[in-house]
Amino acid sequence: MRNITKIFGHLKANDAVDFKLREKSIHGLLGENGAGKTTLMNVLYGLYRQEEGEIYIHGQKTDISSPLKAISSGIGMVHQHFMLARPLTVVENIMLGRKSSRGIFLDTKKVAAEIRELSDKYHLMVDPYARIWQLSVGEQQRVEILTTIYQGANILILDEPTAVLTPQEAETLFSILRQMRDDGKSMILITHKLEEILSVVDDVTILRDGKMINSLKVTPATTKEELSRLMVGRDVLFDFYPVAVKPGKERISMKNLSVRNDKDFSAVRNFSLSVAEGEIVGLAGVDGNGQKELAEALTGLRPAEGGLIFINGKEAVNKPPVFYINEGVAHIPEDRQSMGLAMGFCVSKNLVIKRFYQQPYAKNGLLNYKNIKDHAKKMIQDFQIKTNSTEDITRDLSGGNQQKVILARELADDPSVLIANQPTRGLDVGATEYVRSRLLEARSKGSAVLLISADIEEIIQLSDRIAVIYNGELMGVLPKGSQPEAIGLLMMGKRQGDNASVKENY
Amino acid sequence: MPVSKKIIKITQAIFPALLMVAGALLSGAVLIVIAGNDPIAAYKALLEGAFSNSYRISETFVKAIPLMLMAQGISIAFKNQIWNIGAGGQFTIGTILSVVVCLYFKLPPIPTIILSFIFAFIGGALWGGLAGWLKARFNANEVITTLMLDYIATFLLAYLVYGPMMDPNGFGYPQSAVIEKVLRLPKLIVGGRLHAGLFVAIAILLLMILFWRSTLGFKIELAGQGNDVSRYAGINNKKIIIVAMLLSGGLSGIAGWNEIHGIHFRLMTDLAGSYGSIAIVIALLGNLNPLGIAISAYFFSVLIVGGNTMQNLTGIPYSLVDIIQGLIVVFVITRTAFKAESIQSFFRKRRYQHNG
Repeated sequence: MRNITKIFGHLKANDAVDFKLREKSIHGLLGENGAGKTTLMNVLYGLYRQEEGEIYIHGQKTDISSPLKAISSGIGMVHQHFMLARPLTVVENIMLGRKSSRGIFLDTKKVAAEIRELSDKYHLMVDPYARIWQLSVGEQQRVEILTTIYQGANILILDEPTAVLTPQEAETLFSILRQMRDDGKSMILITHKLEEILSVVDDVTILRDGKMINSLKVTPATTKEELSRLMVGRDVLFDFYPVAVKPGKERISMKNLSVRNDKDFSAVRNFSLSVAEGEIVGLAGVDGNGQKELAEALTGLRPAEGGLIFINGKEAVNKPPVFYINEGVAHIPEDRQSMGLAMGFCVSKNLVIKRFYQQPYAKNGLLNYKNIKDHAKKMIQDFQIKTNSTEDITRDLSGGNQQKVILARELADDPSVLIANQPTRGLDVGATEYVRSRLLEARSKGSAVLLISADIEEIIQLSDRIAVIYNGELMGVLPKGSQPEAIGLLMMGKRQGDNASVKENY
Repeated sequence: MPVSKKIIKITQAIFPALLMVAGALLSGAVLIVIAGNDPIAAYKALLEGAFSNSYRISETFVKAIPLMLMAQGISIAFKNQIWNIGAGGQFTIGTILSVVVCLYFKLPPIPTIILSFIFAFIGGALWGGLAGWLKARFNANEVITTLMLDYIATFLLAYLVYGPMMDPNGFGYPQSAVIEKVLRLPKLIVGGRLHAGLFVAIAILLLMILFWRSTLGFKIELAGQGNDVSRYAGINNKKIIIVAMLLSGGLSGIAGWNEIHGIHFRLMTDLAGSYGSIAIVIALLGNLNPLGIAISAYFFSVLIVGGNTMQNLTGIPYSLVDIIQGLIVVFVITRTAFKAESIQSFFRKRRYQHNG
């Protein structure tokens, strides 16, 4: 790809980017959120049309006007959000939209045989007749990969493929990728995780603010620090050295807590855990194992089916959200956009949606806009929120800055308890670093922090104790300094010494 | 904020509304031409009909008062994302209770007027609040319930004026007896119908501006931003829905009180007419902003008052006004397209396509 430029509105998402993919290689495309990685790949896949620049495939100038054209040119893409029809089987999904050799009848058997062959060849371990909803996330991803290979792709684009995987699943994926490379395919791996670049990638191209910063070969000498400097444009702190804080008395505890999800299935079962003053307890787990329901139950947003919750020693189960707010329970919800923020409100209003009726923001039932604005100005400065004014609509802020608005609101009054659910998901390196340092700060100020995260590294870096949730149950609590592998096993529902394989679908 | 910035901001806020009105008037002009008439003459007649003498000018205010009150009420529900389309019914209940107080409560004039006002407010509030309660309790769709309650109110009124409340000396006309002269709002000008209800409307306008700066207004707006975020912020959504619908209906009830004491002095069938639906358009065109609503209420009453004269003078049917009203609804629905930024980005996109 030569000199690619793509403009959205005022924004140059790609600014004269050059990108070269060698045959038989895995190429990392590295950059922060909004650096233009996905845009560049969408241009290659024909989803966007570039304003300038040309694309050459095997030396031939190619005009990719649509994904169909891309597929016929041997380019396949595995999106971050899978494009699979959940009630259908694997083979049916792969056949979707393709011609059948048997005219108006489906040639399911023939395709299934072909799929099996491909699956065996690359050790994808996919059953053609399994239905998508029965598959784990990792398996679904392999179905997506299989689909692109079946379509004849020689160039595979993978958009943040490990974002949804456990470390073990990610390792499986990487070995599949290596095998596909040795078989002559080329792959582009979009990521902002530096470890992935170092462990699996042959070449790396780094984008920043839509511009190509550098393209280099990955050697054993390549370091995380070097890559991050290129990616962020400054030195980044990787290791936090939390000051040892002696945990005080219990601030929040749950005993045999059970919660149901929206579909009225049991989501959290018999869950017992407590967090003390000045302590971060990490709760690791693959998405969808009851974390959201647990966080909502601990903030009064979801009724508990059974069990007990104590906040600051007070019985709190099934009390309304206001009770929790008044007890100083701060909550960084997983769903920022529909729960954490009133997207149509301006920044200054969002910063007070929990406190607007209290002094100094209101008096005698009337809001004091001046105080609300002054508070917002202070928060914008303290939490480095990038916005033109206090009156900017929150929807117009970037994801990282939206998260900072939530962070500012929740941490402003030094909460006694902080429930942080996936606080850094989707944030770029800089914002992630910032959020983590703020969590540590809250801890040293005496907050009891329950850090719910699917990111093992984050859990290990920040937590004083590490709990693991699987299928709504507490799998165990590990001490600080536990190995990622040990945590990962528990995350997949395997207790130590437990040889029986646990069902992967949940 | 510097003054110049403020002016820019206000212009940006009003610009889409102006564009919508201009678009509606222009499209209306095209229709007039197709029908074989002169659009300039038509709009001239319309303006003359609204402003050529003091009676007509007073009429524009007479019509604007209830429309604005109802639209302010509607805006409370709409900000909460509750689609109260039954303002007409809430208005009707207000008129009924006002007349009941005036005819049957044998009290001195001042207490009667005050009690009539309170009853009209409570009546409208309960009529709206019922829909709110049904939504909060059973998740009943408020579009359906408010619409149905609208019909019930209309037929209740018809039943009353054909039955128990029919004027015994009214020669069998479907109307109630008139309220006593001392209970009527004083006229503000000679030879016109404009009455002291104007001050009530101005007072309500000021109260509404204050209301949106109150904590309750904030709660209603926050709840309108989505169930999840408002629950998260500690707000009891169900309670807020009911409160918003009580206030929303109450303001329409006051509009009913205003029409009884200022204009009609008695009950007749179908007093609400199409006020309920016009008030929705007014609320939306005014961008749910109290001042915007006041301005667009006045604009619509100019159309209504002028439209009648236009029909008489030029033979262009009054339905042109309905068409303009309808076009504004269409434009309001496609409002995002009229935001300044979207127009800019539209032209930018075009340019790129051209280049590419």
